[in-house]
Amino acid sequence: MSDAGSAVIASDRLHEPFGRYAVDGVRPSQVWAIHDAGELGAALAEASKGRRAVIPHGAGIHVALGNPPARYDIALDLAPFAGVIEYEPDDLTIAVRAGTPLAEVQSLLAERRLLLPLDPPGADRCTVGGMLATALTGPLRHGYGTARDWVIGMRVALADGTLAKSGGRVVKNVTGYDMHKLHIGALGTLGVIAEVTFKLAPLPRVERTLGIAAPTATAVCALAAAAQRGGLPLMAAEALAPPAANALAGLHGWALVLRVAGGPNAVERAVREVHGLADRSDATTAHDIDVATFDAGWRAAFRPDGLAVRISVRPSHVGRVLEAVDRRLAGHGAQVAATVSAGVVRVVAASADEATAPHLLATLRDVTAHAGATIVIDAAPRGAKAGIDVFGEPRQDWEIMRRLKDEFDPVRILAPGRYLGRL
Amino acid sequence: MTIGTLPHGTVTRSVVRELRRALGGERVIATPEELIAYEYDGTIERGKPQVVVFPENTEQVSAAVRIARGHDVPVVPRGAGTGLSGGAVAAIGGVVVALTRMKRIIEVDVVNQIAVVEPGVVNLDLSRAVAPHGLYYAPDPSSQRACTIGGNIAENAGGPHCLAYGATTNHVLGLELVLADGSIVAVGGRSREVPGYDLVGAVVGSEGTLAIVTKATVRLMRLPESTRTLLAIFDHIDDASESVSAIIAAGMLPSAIEMIDRQVIAAVEPVINAGFPLDAEAVLLIEVDGLEEATAEDAGAIEQLCTERGAREVRVAVDARDRERLWAGRKTSISALGRMYPNYYVLDGVVPRTKLVGVVRATYEIAARHGLAVANVFHAGDGNLHPNLLFDGRAPGATARVLAAGAEMMRACVEAGGTITGEHGVGLEKRDFLTWVYDQSDLAAMRKLKAAFGAGELYNPCKAFPTSRGCGELREGEIARAMAAAGGDAYV
Repeated sequence: MSDAGSAVIASDRLHEPFGRYAVDGVRPSQVWAIHDAGELGAALAEASKGRRAVIPHGAGIHVALGNPPARYDIALDLAPFAGVIEYEPDDLTIAVRAGTPLAEVQSLLAERRLLLPLDPPGADRCTVGGMLATALTGPLRHGYGTARDWVIGMRVALADGTLAKSGGRVVKNVTGYDMHKLHIGALGTLGVIAEVTFKLAPLPRVERTLGIAAPTATAVCALAAAAQRGGLPLMAAEALAPPAANALAGLHGWALVLRVAGGPNAVERAVREVHGLADRSDATTAHDIDVATFDAGWRAAFRPDGLAVRISVRPSHVGRVLEAVDRRLAGHGAQVAATVSAGVVRVVAASADEATAPHLLATLRDVTAHAGATIVIDAAPRGAKAGIDVFGEPRQDWEIMRRLKDEFDPVRILAPGRYLGRL
Repeated sequence: MTIGTLPHGTVTRSVVRELRRALGGERVIATPEELIAYEYDGTIERGKPQVVVFPENTEQVSAAVRIARGHDVPVVPRGAGTGLSGGAVAAIGGVVVALTRMKRIIEVDVVNQIAVVEPGVVNLDLSRAVAPHGLYYAPDPSSQRACTIGGNIAENAGGPHCLAYGATTNHVLGLELVLADGSIVAVGGRSREVPGYDLVGAVVGSEGTLAIVTKATVRLMRLPESTRTLLAIFDHIDDASESVSAIIAAGMLPSAIEMIDRQVIAAVEPVINAGFPLDAEAVLLIEVDGLEEATAEDAGAIEQLCTERGAREVRVAVDARDRERLWAGRKTSISALGRMYPNYYVLDGVVPRTKLVGVVRATYEIAARHGLAVANVFHAGDGNLHPNLLFDGRAPGATARVLAAGAEMMRACVEAGGTITGEHGVGLEKRDFLTWVYDQSDLAAMRKLKAAFGAGELYNPCKAFPTSRGCGELREGEIARAMAAAGGDAYV
């Protein structure tokens, strides 16, 4: 650690606790700007000593995710802790600091026709650290999996201020426990992600994005399943409810957006297959849509805002769940989409408020109760979070999670109360 | 039991009696002759268990663990014993829990591409069982005909096709575990959306030190419509390496890119007559899969890239028989080496891919300095190299030279920005190299994870962490004697 604790809270680095650092309406009493790993460690050591609760803050895009904090004294602003540490395009790896905007990483990679295939809601604005702490995913999940599949190394600041790394900068590694998996999606409750190394994917040589409209969600999901069964090379296969279909793909009714990628001949064949699938069903003809418009629209529409809910079901149940959600939420202006193969249905009712959100939530629970679904609330008005756990009820493995929290954060300074079961 | 305190108990007759009572006599062995087969795995390491149990369900695993814990004796989970880091060796004795009889495929959900299996299911058997549905299980360690899914999970096993499809951790969604207090707990589920910390991610690759896996929910993948395999023959290893870079830079991600060096060619060719020229310096085995059009155009592009970079010859195989013949050179390489030398020792290091050639050269130099032969087969696409040290274990001091050379090679990997194991695990073999990669803070964080699972040192003691007091050292002399006694092909 380069800095002593006192340097961290020197006045030039002490921000006003503006409202933008508020979490579920709770404002911190201080904001500490973090510029490097040493400073991050020192800040946590200091916070630990004073038993002051910290919440790491990136771009604030996904701050709505989590239970209301039990305590919140200091916002750790990691935005200044940004930049590329090491980029080896020939090895397909990049190491970046947590505060680095994801979009900056993607533009850098695109110059060498590479891609970090993670596209959560708000991908155009969020930081790498924020994306990992929340583990939110987007349409690319169909073809590329989740953040845990792309992180190969991590350096984390622990509650006592020590910095611990795991993994490295090689794409295959079983040296020591896979510690970074614990921190992905943990909302900073076991440690604060400082630096991350990713493996990268090559950008496909050719890409086409096709939109198909169909009268029902079931029809759309059947098309998605058929495309998958056919082994088509798909980066994404996203089902959209009518409002999203119209807004993001210019289609009427339900829609399936397929992002086909590969060599020119493979893409040509896949496009032919997609047309064939559409023709054999009661869907409309598949036509090309602009992927940039779709991406931008998706990222904005499904940013956790108002009431945002993620429903997880077996992929084979997605169609039914989509239809039920759409029917029961009609008139509430909700955006609904699903990554069919992952069994993830997203619902965002941006205009929901404290008065309407509890009712919508109850409806969603009712609709999904029969489908064996789990529900996570990615955002809800403050009042609607009262008395519930946004992650749902803890299961039998929660005891191990509690012991993990005890080990990693014995004095409960890391975003206390925000995680599953109020950890 | 606190971390760092090794189990003190010994397996007495009454422990064996209790195990027999709980599991049934036919599921417990304890005579020295019966135990011999459970002293070793695929490595040089040896360790004698006092008793081996063969539970047939989760409750029996739990019962065995409770008895062992009650007497404070170590518990070592074991699959097929094909591991290459000593993970299944009972380092300080105790109860080996062999999971080979728990080999049911409990459920195959074809539509959602998921299987639920017991840990003793053999890797290849799972793929065979789901093949009629057009599915397969992607991780394919070289031992896949024998190794078990449970062992794969313990070691986070890889395989040639990791390059495109990832290792075991990328394919496991949920686990049923027996914790060290005997309790049974499910972690994860049927998707990645299960709320809470990623306990599945923590357990996969934990080398049997946190929990015993009694059930696994895994992802299945769709069998590709078409697969093409290319064999590219190079006079210079640098040209082979540059070809790998060019393929990836062109935006292609083959499902496998394997490299075989001259020493391996010399061993393999007389045995299988694959047509490898003995004067070639390296051979690349590249596989692409997907739509027919995709493999056709990718194979064409790869052939051209390799030729432009100096490949002497590129062969493309489309039908299954031709492909198998090409793969035979890779898959039989280890046993072919076994025919030429009384003993060999397989290492597992990883470096950033572009550093591969330099490190391979370093392995030649290190081996020569120690008066040993070395043959390299490696997963060139992801920088994972497997130098095989070839020697005669009966020669005085040979084993010591092998261990010293192996350590130097691992050091070379670390210095090139890599690490000491890509897919075999730390186990017993590499625990003392861990500090080359991780400092005390890093290891302390790992110990917190270990503590949270509450296993202390009951499960698989002396593994995966630097040697602790009481674990002792397997002395070179003991190893040499064991190797001499076991003879030629004992370490496959």
